[in-house]
Amino acid sequence: MSGERVPIKTAHKLMQLMMEYYMGAKAAESTDRKIAWVTSGAPVELLHAANVIPIYPENYGALCGAQKMAVELCEVAESHGFSRDICSYARTGFGSMLSEGGPMGGLPKPDFLLCCNNICGTVTKWYQVLQRYYDVPLLYLDTPFLHGEATPETIEYVRAQIVDLIEQIGGIAGSPIEQDGLYQTLQLAAKAIIIWGELLDLMAHKPAPMNSFDTFIHIAPIVVMRGEQRCIDYYEALTAEMKERVANGVAAVPGEQFRLGWDNLPVWFRMGALSKRFAQHKACLAAATYASAWAQPIDPDADDMLREMARSYLTVYINCGLDQRVQTLRRMADKFFLDGVVLHSDRSCKAYSLGQYELARTLRDEMDFPVLVLEADMNDSRVYADEQINARIDAFMEMLAARKT
Amino acid sequence: MSPNTATLVEPFEAVCADPYATARAAAAEGRKVAGYLCTYTPEELLHAAGYVPVRIFGYSDGTQRADGLLQAYACSLARAALELALSGQLDFLSLTVFPHTCDTIQNLADVWRRNVSGALHVTLATPVNVESEHAVRFYRAELERVRDLLAAANGPIADDDLAASIALHNEHRAAMRRLYAVRRANPGVLSGRDILTVVLSSFLMPKEDHLGLLHELVSALESAPAAPATGPKVFVAGALCQSADYIAAIEDAGCVVVDDDLCTGSRAFAVEEQACDDPIEALARMYLSRRPCASKHRPGHSFGRDVLARARDAKADGVVFLFTKFCDPWAFDYPEMREVLEEAGVPSLLLEIEQHVAPPEQFHTRVAAFAEMVGALHGGANERATS
Repeated sequence: MSGERVPIKTAHKLMQLMMEYYMGAKAAESTDRKIAWVTSGAPVELLHAANVIPIYPENYGALCGAQKMAVELCEVAESHGFSRDICSYARTGFGSMLSEGGPMGGLPKPDFLLCCNNICGTVTKWYQVLQRYYDVPLLYLDTPFLHGEATPETIEYVRAQIVDLIEQIGGIAGSPIEQDGLYQTLQLAAKAIIIWGELLDLMAHKPAPMNSFDTFIHIAPIVVMRGEQRCIDYYEALTAEMKERVANGVAAVPGEQFRLGWDNLPVWFRMGALSKRFAQHKACLAAATYASAWAQPIDPDADDMLREMARSYLTVYINCGLDQRVQTLRRMADKFFLDGVVLHSDRSCKAYSLGQYELARTLRDEMDFPVLVLEADMNDSRVYADEQINARIDAFMEMLAARKT
Repeated sequence: MSPNTATLVEPFEAVCADPYATARAAAAEGRKVAGYLCTYTPEELLHAAGYVPVRIFGYSDGTQRADGLLQAYACSLARAALELALSGQLDFLSLTVFPHTCDTIQNLADVWRRNVSGALHVTLATPVNVESEHAVRFYRAELERVRDLLAAANGPIADDDLAASIALHNEHRAAMRRLYAVRRANPGVLSGRDILTVVLSSFLMPKEDHLGLLHELVSALESAPAAPATGPKVFVAGALCQSADYIAAIEDAGCVVVDDDLCTGSRAFAVEEQACDDPIEALARMYLSRRPCASKHRPGHSFGRDVLARARDAKADGVVFLFTKFCDPWAFDYPEMREVLEEAGVPSLLLEIEQHVAPPEQFHTRVAAFAEMVGALHGGANERATS
């Protein structure tokens, strides 16, 4: 069993891009340019249109996790009274905030906060803590969870709040958000989203040119630079490389025999080991709900641009109920020719995880689709049991192999 | 407690002794019963539609069936309530209502709908940002949507009926607030355990019946003489507490519970009247403006300062945080609450509980140690105040 991965050439550009982003934001701390901390599902286009630098504590949390610095930061937060049961991104962020520790000595301080609860209710509480600590304005976008279709009233509710946000952000930034500026930003965002979606779609090829373990790393620009030209440039370069791989039949996992889906956040501190484990079984993670969450289309030329933003931000995967999630996973399985799906039951993310057992039951019992549930956490390695996880992966892969013969 | 008071509490105890027997009996008599999670549910709307509203708690012994559908890191309320439904103990319900509360309850709503059959299943998108006119407008529309759903199942709900239901519930909440006021003024008059029994039964039986019993009890207590209450006075705060055993354990350790911030407590009755011609708008404004649960966003609201102010009003010597294990909203606020109390010199104790499990030994030990510590700080002053 080998488990060798083919390195991505464009990756060095990613490191450079992210370094520029964080260094640029750090440098802006001492200038008049405003910095906003923002949740990963918030309409960042509004910030770009006001020339505000968006900073993503969740991305920073992931960075700390991948660099194996999360646990010590979590411990700082826990020593200040934060429970070990709350989100490990939040604990990582609080630890960094309280100790000015973590990569780059912490994040540049916010001038204001923008929180959108379309990814979870946890961010509401997280940003309330940030608001008290930094004593800066907290702008809030309430996107009601959709157990079924979005009603016109729900979309209107979100739209009305976006209208307010345009005022508020323009006011804080000292430069009003103009219709044209917002339109241009939305166009750039829409284009990046399309390219990101097309890039993920390339993974439907057999063999898949890219592994979800790669997309988890390369997701950073679409999350933090959506609405900027450099985001588009980056994904165009990455797409070119992947198209070349497809043309030459290069597999992300050499000798690919199995194709799996992944649900929920990555396990940041075990990315390498997990990737290797699956690759040893000739399994490629060809699709992930987490990566495709940022491929949510938005149409800048819609009749009512703000209504379109409201619709788009309301209907993200994680803001939709279980029926929708079952459908999404089922469609993903068909589109990417998946042999099974791995559900990461992430102790830190109740919004994403609770309901997965029902997903598993439905896929397994009603659709005869193999499912592996892994009990883990995105950042807290203290609750991760290597031997148990590896044994479950091995057993699952043996089962899949038996199904194929 | 006088013999008379003990008699007046008995009917409430009888209801809590077999929590869903009263509702089950009502269903057997042909009445429709609606079950709901979370006190952001406007019971008035269900009542006006002809239902007997009852609150769904986790009154199950274990969580064997639910564990197959929910991870162990879902809170005990979610797991134990689901267990109750999966084991058929809620099969008398015609309707279940899930208002938006937190990440856990939001996902529970879907798991429940897909695995528990027999009742009409309604989700209600209660806004999270409770302080905005946009939210009021949206919530009105959402309540109208639910009204239409209920009307389709039971016939139209007249504005007058809705207004009458609101009036009934306002009267009930006012009476509950009076009960709390009596205790604050005269903490020895009724134990915290009994108060929680009164509160819990209010969610488990027809409101009209509860109101009648409540009026009798409150009148008797209001004319009762000052009762001795020795021991440290504590204020209890958290999401909810479905078992009076926990409050009893706090009192057995020597504390006197003087007030609370629980949604099986004062928070449930903090819904105030609103002068609106349209009853749906009144409901929207009443529920959004109530003292918030930690799962809500009210700009500028500090749970720490709120608990401190309320604990001081009740002349509490300390605060006991009764948190449900894995309840994120309260856990996020805890460091701030502890800090605000500390700065004000108010000692506090954090206890995590599993709703469906009896207080473990460690609970008793920790409360006893806290009671001793607070007693040593304040004991002398208390004795003077109550003698």
